[in-house]
Amino acid sequence: MAKIIFTSNLERHCHCPTKIVVGNTVIEVLKNYFSEYPAIQSYVLDDQDKLRKNMLIAVNNEIISDRVTLLDPVKENDEVFVLQALSGG
Amino acid sequence: MDNALLTRYSRHILLPELDYAGQLKLTKSRALIIGAGGLASPVAMYLASSGVGQIVLVDFDKVEVSNLQRQIMHGNADIGRAKVDSAKETLSGLNPETEIITINRRLAEGELREQVKLANIILETTDNFESRFLLNRICVEQRKPLISGSVIRFEGQLSTFRCDLTDSPCYQCLYTETEALEETCSQNGVLAPVVGIIGSLQATEALKVLAGIGTDLAGRLMLFNALNMEWRTLKLKKDPDCPICSAT
Ligand SMILES: [Zn+2]
Repeated sequence: MAKIIFTSNLERHCHCPTKIVVGNTVIEVLKNYFSEYPAIQSYVLDDQDKLRKNMLIAVNNEIISDRVTLLDPVKENDEVFVLQALSGG
Repeated sequence: MDNALLTRYSRHILLPELDYAGQLKLTKSRALIIGAGGLASPVAMYLASSGVGQIVLVDFDKVEVSNLQRQIMHGNADIGRAKVDSAKETLSGLNPETEIITINRRLAEGELREQVKLANIILETTDNFESRFLLNRICVEQRKPLISGSVIRFEGQLSTFRCDLTDSPCYQCLYTETEALEETCSQNGVLAPVVGIIGSLQATEALKVLAGIGTDLAGRLMLFNALNMEWRTLKLKKDPDCPICSAT
């Protein structure tokens, strides 16, 4: 069970409200969220379920280093924050 | 420093953390700013007014009327001029003591490396990933601190990459080299003061690193969202598999 929050830049592409979602790892939480909001999945994961290169995920405000398996553990009341690289200057 | 300079920088020198010694470090420093647009405006203006000894500005654009909403070191009379020329006039007007060196073209990798080598600090203010990854690689190779800011719409991101220190993460520990479509402020818009906020923070970090005071943002990524006026700071670790900094 964790709270998942998407950066507001992603909200522009499709509806992705903050939710409490079941799951014990980052990938489980994401997949459970995407089952309810499928449109956001392709912005976050590639077709092999790896984190897209321009995306970052933080659990409790710590950026996770495993971008491939996304198996970082998620505990009750944790917060998963999904954000995007910005390049504008 | 003579009396005129002591007066000019007195509000810095009054700060016990900075003091005369810190100000002297600033006047002996050289900052390299890549870009002369939105973020570069507050960066360059604050570094110049603060008395950084030499500022090198690299940009190949001309000032356009659509720049003026946020690129506040250029004015109406500068439309059509090279941005670096317009910037030099503004910065020299703020503080004639700071030497402004302008490069009005895109630098090839070798030339960029030479400029990084000469600088004490590097500030990334461009609007593309390619430049950000290249500059990071050169800063890691040359062991120079890099202060990176980016903005779009109502959001900004900021971090300091202490590529001069072995245990500090680099830009590529954060983002993998990406083919992702770039979103530029010219195409997507940006709220003008958001650029000012992030640029001013880049300047703040630069002055701190140059003077050797406080705690910089190494290992942290700051995010700002102006729509809900929220800040968030994320912790960032050095990636042991980073292709750029893991071997250093
Ligand atoms: Zn790295």
